Amino acid sequence: MGKVLMKGNEAIGEAAIRAGCLNYFAYPITPQSEVAEYLSKRLPEVGGVFLQGESEVAVSYMIFGASACGARVFTTSSSPGISLMSEGISYITAAQCPAVFINIMRGGPGLGGILPSQADYFQSVKGGGHGDYRLLVMAPASVQEAVEMTMTAFPLAEKYRNPVMILGDGLIGQMMEPVEFPDHLKSEPSNKDGWATNGMDTRRSSTRNLVRTLYLVPEELNAHNLKLKAKYDRMIREEIRWETYNLDGDYRMLIVSYGTMSRVCRTVIDNFKAKGIEIGMVRPKTLFPFPKQAIYDAAAKASCRAAISVEMSMGQMVEDVELSVKGLKPVHWYGKCGGDVPTPEEVMEEVSKLMAS
Amino acid sequence: MVDLRLRGVVVIVGNYGSGKSEVAINLAAFHRQAGLRVRIADLDLVNPYFRSREAREALAEMGIEVVLPPDPYLQAELPVLSPMVAGIIRQPGELTILDVGGDNVGAMVLAALGDAFAAGAIPQVLQVVNPLRPATDTHAGCLKIRRQIEAAAMLSVTGLIGNANLIDETTPGEIADGYAFVQGLSEASGLPVVCITVAEELLPQVDASRFICPVLTIRRQLVPPWKKAGRL
Repeated sequence: MGKVLMKGNEAIGEAAIRAGCLNYFAYPITPQSEVAEYLSKRLPEVGGVFLQGESEVAVSYMIFGASACGARVFTTSSSPGISLMSEGISYITAAQCPAVFINIMRGGPGLGGILPSQADYFQSVKGGGHGDYRLLVMAPASVQEAVEMTMTAFPLAEKYRNPVMILGDGLIGQMMEPVEFPDHLKSEPSNKDGWATNGMDTRRSSTRNLVRTLYLVPEELNAHNLKLKAKYDRMIREEIRWETYNLDGDYRMLIVSYGTMSRVCRTVIDNFKAKGIEIGMVRPKTLFPFPKQAIYDAAAKASCRAAISVEMSMGQMVEDVELSVKGLKPVHWYGKCGGDVPTPEEVMEEVSKLMAS
Repeated sequence: MVDLRLRGVVVIVGNYGSGKSEVAINLAAFHRQAGLRVRIADLDLVNPYFRSREAREALAEMGIEVVLPPDPYLQAELPVLSPMVAGIIRQPGELTILDVGGDNVGAMVLAALGDAFAAGAIPQVLQVVNPLRPATDTHAGCLKIRRQIEAAAMLSVTGLIGNANLIDETTPGEIADGYAFVQGLSEASGLPVVCITVAEELLPQVDASRFICPVLTIRRQLVPPWKKAGRL
């Protein structure tokens, strides 16, 4: 199959099917509703199921149920909807069930607006729901990358028996770009015999599987949390992904940016280069685990005077950039949050001001 | 090459993501440059981003009248239709282009304007077709969407616009294949090909003399924030 022109939301839906996921539960919300629209037509053609829940709270528990039975399952929503799902997400992490959640972010807080935003960074990376849990969070910067991350998300969720979140801003869902789909992944979740509650006669194991989140004995709950922590530590060892841009030369400033915002920053870097000024960038592709070492190393370069986190939020990722840089160089923030994505000119002005100061 | 000459009310329909808005904007600019008085109305009530309203300043600068919902509702996801639309359908002037939302869902707004259409001349309803989109990669797919749009709009499609493209990654080969595709669709449907489109940057690599239909140059307006819109 050659390239086709697809909207991010449609491409995400198609990618999930090709990753072998035939169960999709969702509730419509702008700017991600096209996923449901696309899959409501497409899933019946391939023997899959789309069910619209009566709310996002319901959807999160439909995901929990399907996942607990060992089925590949995913949902998509946008910011306020993910808030409603956060309770279910906490339970799913506690029960160690794999599932994929996709957040096509819009402006907040509250109803906010329907335009692009990255203001759910804290929600996805630091919590959202209650308790000590982490999501593996991936942030695509193009429709093609959204496809690849969606297809990777299912095996990763199963590897860790933990939800994976794909965090895309509204543009990722709404823009159209040429995409190519890798071949189908025909595999089934491979490790489910040891935990899925799918009935004794369907499994190769003779032990009873139990999906639960309640641990009333303090030692048991602590042991359970240590077990979860060990998984998150393994994610930090094995799953950090990032991309660098223009780090070979003697750059004066380091930009850290993710998602479509990083594409504006690429234009910024190209424009500065044309004027003889070098700026470098680290683009985290996973937000948890965060590429701390890569950012530290990039900031440590002698020519680099400071780092700046450029984000469509009011200073969220900048906290992780500060933790990464460990006080070695000053760390600044620039962002906008109304829905107008900062233009290359606006980012250039901010970077120029910092370089002059 | 044959001239592209549209007059009266021209309604741009097509499947979701076929490139209707980009085509509508460039059709408006082309006819304005040819000296016509041109109006464009954004009737997209289903799409939240990348609508023709985003090119309103560039269009207004050219002297094209842009008909939009009132400012406070421009970014709302409410089906707000400017009350002016019915009036301009009745009195379209030299050229009035209506940019309609995608699929049958987006075309439903046209049925609501049925009284206005009945009062005026029969409008030209042009279906934009991009064979590099998943639902319209076959003639059967294009004809299915045509039937659905006609049923929802209560109007008949009267012509085709071939809009084969992969945005920045379009090759001359895809333009040639897209041309053959829309000619074939024309034979299968009996609908004339009103024009095909070629992006400005691709034009030098395309031999337009072999096309028997007009070619509309596309200067992309609905671009993501890291790209510059073309000069209309």
